[in-house]
Amino acid sequence: MAIFKLHLPILDEIKQKGLRPALRDKKEDIVTRVTAGLSTEDVRSMLRDDPPGRPNPRLKPHSEGFWLHMKPTYYNNLVDGVYPTFRLGWLSTFFFLIEIVTGVLLMVYYTPSPEFAYTNMLTILSNVPFGRLIRDVHRLGAELMVAIVMLHALRTFLTGSYKKPRQFTWATGIILLLVTWLLSFSGYLLPWDQLSLWAVTIGVSMVEAIPPEVVGRTVNLLFRGAPEFGANGLLRWYLLHVVALPLAGIIFVGVHYYKVVLHGHSLPPEAEEIGEDTARRVPTDSRTYFFPHIATRELFYVVAVTALIVIGALFYHAPLEPHADPLVTPLHSTAPWYFLWLQGMLKLGDKVIFGLIVPGVLIGGLLVLPYIEVGPSRRYGHRRIGLTAGLGLVFAFGVLSYMGSPWYAVQTSPEQEAIAELLPQTHPGPLRLADWNGLDIGTYEASAYAQAPTGTLRSVLAEFEHSVEAIDVPERSDYQGVIVIEDWQTNLKKLTLRILWTDDASGDPGEYSQTVYLHKDSNYGQGE
Amino acid sequence: MRWHIALGTLFVLILVAVFGYIAVGEQTRMQSFTDAYDARQIETGAALFETHCRTCHGPQGKGIIGVAPAINAADMFNGERLAAAGFSGTLTDYLEGTISAGRPIPSAGTSYPQRMPTWSQEFGGPLRKDQVNSLVAFIENWQDRALAEGGEATAPAPAGEPIGTDIAVNLPPGDAARGEQLAQSAQGGCSACHELAAVGPAWAASGDVPGIATRAGERIQEADYTGSATTAQQYLIESIVLPNAFVEPGYQPSIMPQDFGQRLTAQQVADLIAYMDTKP
Repeated sequence: MAIFKLHLPILDEIKQKGLRPALRDKKEDIVTRVTAGLSTEDVRSMLRDDPPGRPNPRLKPHSEGFWLHMKPTYYNNLVDGVYPTFRLGWLSTFFFLIEIVTGVLLMVYYTPSPEFAYTNMLTILSNVPFGRLIRDVHRLGAELMVAIVMLHALRTFLTGSYKKPRQFTWATGIILLLVTWLLSFSGYLLPWDQLSLWAVTIGVSMVEAIPPEVVGRTVNLLFRGAPEFGANGLLRWYLLHVVALPLAGIIFVGVHYYKVVLHGHSLPPEAEEIGEDTARRVPTDSRTYFFPHIATRELFYVVAVTALIVIGALFYHAPLEPHADPLVTPLHSTAPWYFLWLQGMLKLGDKVIFGLIVPGVLIGGLLVLPYIEVGPSRRYGHRRIGLTAGLGLVFAFGVLSYMGSPWYAVQTSPEQEAIAELLPQTHPGPLRLADWNGLDIGTYEASAYAQAPTGTLRSVLAEFEHSVEAIDVPERSDYQGVIVIEDWQTNLKKLTLRILWTDDASGDPGEYSQTVYLHKDSNYGQGE
Repeated sequence: MRWHIALGTLFVLILVAVFGYIAVGEQTRMQSFTDAYDARQIETGAALFETHCRTCHGPQGKGIIGVAPAINAADMFNGERLAAAGFSGTLTDYLEGTISAGRPIPSAGTSYPQRMPTWSQEFGGPLRKDQVNSLVAFIENWQDRALAEGGEATAPAPAGEPIGTDIAVNLPPGDAARGEQLAQSAQGGCSACHELAAVGPAWAASGDVPGIATRAGERIQEADYTGSATTAQQYLIESIVLPNAFVEPGYQPSIMPQDFGQRLTAQQVADLIAYMDTKP
């Protein structure tokens, strides 16, 4: 007696039908299972773009499969063009996916500890095949995703698509905008370089202003993990970046998508009667079905956008500044570009009012906008006040961002600024990028740049002279720039940039200088 | 739809081509980043040396007599210094260890009575590990030039019979000029602590404190004097060869090297005392 009996149904079928018909039926069965309801013939006819049969078999994957139940079965031709969606929502989701994939790859090489994080970055750049590409795509994708999500919100506002019945879709969208901002921002800290430490320090110090004082202090402490950013703070931001925020993102993308399928894509404002929403009632002659047209196109987008971003990463390299140092604040350190408006706002005055209350009211206002602004018409002509206010906000974003940049109302010494032109603290700058061999040993006056022995020196000195000339401090005159180049070690030169002046009142000489060491092989031109 | 399929296929090919292009250059890119980072470490190390090390080891690491030894010296790189210290690891390990942990007690038999501070955060110092590594990279970059220059790095043996620790010894006549020279040389190294820094009591008169020549006579009369000298000259010999016999109030014992009795001849001690006598 057999202990167990091996039973393969296929063998029975072969016995019954013969080999070829049995295998054909089995293949058919597998295709139908994988496609959630399509037969081989259905797939073939779809690829040939034959007219669908009745009932349309191509709708089955939407109703029976998991992945496609969140995609509409057909689109209204009116929303199938570039206008009115500009594909921004789709792009946001796709970039989110790119970030998840590249992010998981980066996690393989990353340890969230101040002791190792920066070394891990160096390893990714120096010892991981495709490491720099993955990091560049992750960083480039993050910046683009923030921009795309913001544009998506702007587009939704401009076409009035936030209005009834899509109020809640808009609210989840604003939450997703915040999640995107925070995702990108929390990623800033992880390389543990000067840029990350100081950008996040600036950002987090804002919550310290939350009144009353004990709340601000506690929240600040929660975000930093200690009075100063360190191991605890890094771990917290890492967990936010790789667990909490992506989870929130996935959940709200789910809700957002569900609502889009539920209410349909909103039509262009001029296409429907005022106060009506006809997105769900699509005339049969105005439908584009997901299979095969939209699916093919989206597949094409996936490939095209991936290729473009990979090509982009050949030219864009994510910056990596020197190791984070809580004792050295780099000149001109700023918040990331999408938070510059906040930094600009802080320059307007009180930290509590402009750093918390105004942004809080703004974002809260955006969140509940569709519940407050209940005007029935989505037509552009009927929304002059709303559109003007919206564009005003965009304009204010631009102006405040400029005000948040180091070029507006930042008090530093003009001598320091002049040297920073040649020797910036946040990127390599002209002196580090200059040809090392052209920096001949000697002492050179910037004003005599034309007499310098090499072309490299002439251009460096001319640039120095240009920034020294631009210094304008009352009661000081006779500004003069000097560069001293010394042979310091094998392949190492010491460069001293010195600015001299005379104090008008006392006639005393003044001096400001900065030193840099340059090695022959330091090769700052690689883009990091 | 056809266009989408055709263009999509084209983009797939482009993507494969770009990946191929990157893959081909990847080894070179990784190597060039590694080289660049090594070079940048030397730059960082140079700046750190300037801030933290030059005050004692000199701007070019040539050392300052009596304060800190030369690092930019042939014996550092040809293995002599490591052998003398009985260190069996690599030079990189030696430098990293010394910078990180410092020298908790002054090295015996040298003219360097000061401790070297600990530098690594691991041992309570100010520098991170990567900064210590940068300093090591900078110091190691001296190798070629230090070896090419060669030169004597260790102090020469005494030019005759050492004086020993008998403070009642008869001294030959001393010469103040030779004494001054010896005090300021690598072999004596006295002036580093007794003239320049405030590590030991100053020889010269300062304010209402008289110079060493006067103090020597006064000290032995004082109640808290613990040594066995009976004359001013014996007191000075004792201070040189048995520095712990009496330590002036306000100073630490064992800071001054204990072995001058083995390193100096009677003539040299006589010269030094003659020089000290010029500082009443």
